[in-house]
Amino acid sequence: MLVSEPMATSDPASLTDYSPDGVDLTLIRWMLSLTPAQRLEYLEERVNDIITIRELNAGT
Amino acid sequence: MPERKLIATLRALLEGSVEFILVGGLAAVLQGAPVDTFDIDVVHSRDAGNVARLQAVLEALDARFRMQPERRLKPNASHLASAGHLNLSTRYGPLDLLGTIGRDLGYRELLPHSVELDIGEGLRIQVLDLETLIALKEELAGEKDRAVLPILRRTLEEQRKG
Repeated sequence: MLVSEPMATSDPASLTDYSPDGVDLTLIRWMLSLTPAQRLEYLEERVNDIITIRELNAGT
Repeated sequence: MPERKLIATLRALLEGSVEFILVGGLAAVLQGAPVDTFDIDVVHSRDAGNVARLQAVLEALDARFRMQPERRLKPNASHLASAGHLNLSTRYGPLDLLGTIGRDLGYRELLPHSVELDIGEGLRIQVLDLETLIALKEELAGEKDRAVLPILRRTLEEQRKG
């Protein structure tokens, strides 16, 4: 039987980290953990995905 | 696998020996800022030799002005030697060539404020550093620039923490 482990904390707010001006610092740290080449690759994948979705929905 | 159009554009410029500095949203992304961007902004050297090399690359990329697309206007050497901004469309997508940015800052002035980054596939490019990107956006103070400033500032802070 699978028993889910209790999370270390039950407060979701403690699992986020926003700056006072609302910037998601966890996202920045994730980006900084990548190399410039990986950042470019990630951006290109996102851009290609968005273009594909736009093409699929052209005219709507 | 879809074509990697951003890197294809940068590769074309590098292989054409064009001197340029990447600025704008893509420069921010490469330095870790989680912002969305769809075009490539570069400040190019306006030296005669570089203008000639750039023009050859633009010809190969079938570059045209995005304004009045029906006229299919090509950028010429005098456009490329000007301090203005050229909003082009190429076979790999939008490419903006900026003679100067901010207070008449051209390639020579910006070069000391750039960093060289490895973007994969054996390519290394000069990218305007985050500090200067932020300073320029603060100076411009347009709505679009103000919107992205908090992300750039926080990225710089996190970057400095190491």
